[in-house]
Amino acid sequence: MGANIIDGKAFATNVRRQIANQVQRLCDDHGITPGLAVILVGEDPASEVYVAAKHKQTVEVGMASFEHKLPADTSQEDLFALIDQLNSDPAVHGILCQFPVPDHLSERNVVARIDPAKDVDGLSVVNAGLLASGETGLVSCTPLGCLMLLRDQIGNMSGKEAVVIGRSNLFGKPMAQLLLQEDCTVTIAHSRTADLSAVARRADILVAAVGRAEMVKGNWIKPGATVIDVGITRIPHPEKPGKSRLLGDVAYHEALDVAAAVTPVPGGVGPMTIACLLANTLTACQRANGLEEIKDLTA
Amino acid sequence: MNAPLEDPRLLRGKPVKDRILGEVADYVRSVPHIGKLVSVSIGDVPEVAIYIRNQARAAEAVGLPFDQQFWDGETAQEECKLRIQEMNDDPDVLGVILQRPVPSHINVRSLQSAIHPLKDIEGMSPASIGNIVYNDVAMAPCTAASAVELIRETGLNMEGLEVVMVGHSEIVGKPAAMMLMAEGATVTVCHHMTRSVAMHSRRADVVVVAVGKAHLIGADMIKPGAAVIDIGINQVRHEDGTVGIVGDVDTEAIKEIAGWVSPVPGGVGPVTVAILMRNAIKAHQRQQEAGWLNI
Repeated sequence: MGANIIDGKAFATNVRRQIANQVQRLCDDHGITPGLAVILVGEDPASEVYVAAKHKQTVEVGMASFEHKLPADTSQEDLFALIDQLNSDPAVHGILCQFPVPDHLSERNVVARIDPAKDVDGLSVVNAGLLASGETGLVSCTPLGCLMLLRDQIGNMSGKEAVVIGRSNLFGKPMAQLLLQEDCTVTIAHSRTADLSAVARRADILVAAVGRAEMVKGNWIKPGATVIDVGITRIPHPEKPGKSRLLGDVAYHEALDVAAAVTPVPGGVGPMTIACLLANTLTACQRANGLEEIKDLTA
Repeated sequence: MNAPLEDPRLLRGKPVKDRILGEVADYVRSVPHIGKLVSVSIGDVPEVAIYIRNQARAAEAVGLPFDQQFWDGETAQEECKLRIQEMNDDPDVLGVILQRPVPSHINVRSLQSAIHPLKDIEGMSPASIGNIVYNDVAMAPCTAASAVELIRETGLNMEGLEVVMVGHSEIVGKPAAMMLMAEGATVTVCHHMTRSVAMHSRRADVVVVAVGKAHLIGADMIKPGAAVIDIGINQVRHEDGTVGIVGDVDTEAIKEIAGWVSPVPGGVGPVTVAILMRNAIKAHQRQQEAGWLNI
């Protein structure tokens, strides 16, 4: 049990504290309050929980939170009208539409409608392109959170072997881009990769994001590696009938014996996501007002 | 003396270029009307003359009108942007090519971003690059797309293939890596900070090199039977004092080990301009789908 356990919850609390200080300063020095608008279409119970958590943390760091709950049968036209209005509202610096949206709406079109400078989820085509072009944009929250944890854990990542398992638009691809920006040698492995365990074993930095419980075994991990586990799978609890528990993509207890540092599930990467959403909102607000942004809170 | 037999290990660009230009010409003939390509050069840049000439020839070969514009080197950024926006709104402009380099007072990325994604046939704007990242590779940056096209020419199935990309530049390395990943390859991106490029390149089924260092990749860095795609263009002075162009790969040595190697010159280069023309007809299709063209 040698590995350092990366406490994402404590780290996220620190990030939020740092954001709260910045928000206070923006208010004192410039009379500006960063604002985050969250749109929820329909009544998905899981989405309601996420939106409530986002609202609570937004208010806690001193930002303005604008919630827009729309009925499930909202037309694309009406949704776009709301997005247009938020795009031009100077009190709103970040806009996110909680996914999934009902079937008659296209997530891609919804994201494309949001002003890229306010796309705090970093999912628009323009922001993906800016990241891939090494330019300033807004970076998807979960990869940004992983980057912060890695910087804290490792410091300079230049020349390290990094392997990202999973090539999703939401996570794998932006994560790979961020690691390239840090001058890691990056391999993106996925379901079609011939010998996944051998590829994983090369990694000084191993990031798993496929959503298959405990797929990454202890013998997939290079001794001394830093392991970031982004997967979350809910399984029935083995001892408590009717209860469930969460598992990551990494066989956690095996990893503890081999790796230098591991993120647990839950309590590792998860708490970083909302913290990074707030970080992006702060950054978007600072950019919108021509103020200096905080390096620690951006890519 | 007989002409030397063509070496099957050399992945030559010319046949690929001719095939693509043929397909593009068929398409252009099949539509009643098609707009023009506009090439924009800002200031006096003699080194791009050869590229413009090649583009003009290819456009002529496929039947696309090609408008060469030379803007004064003093033209302000804002004025350039306005002119590009006018082209965005002009239904008779099919695509815009912004020749580089540009004068130092011009922010080239900002101008590229001004080109509408449906007219960005070079695939350089952030929105175009973002489309590549999201697996919509229709209008990809020409050099990266040419490398993928040459790999396809080998007949190798890209799904699950081990590909090592050497070089992580924004215009070639990164988009090529994304495109190869979209094809199902397992891609590793190496660069100047990589501890051992050889360790990676030696296990690769395909090695793509875009670094700009003459003969960086030698035969000892390649797995027998691998495909090697050379994107580098380096000017070197030979021992006899003559000046020539070589790639990033030691083609002669690697030929004995690799299954395929693309030569420089004559490999990726010729394909690039054909891809530009193919992007132009993709632009036409997309503009039609978007309802821009009332034909």
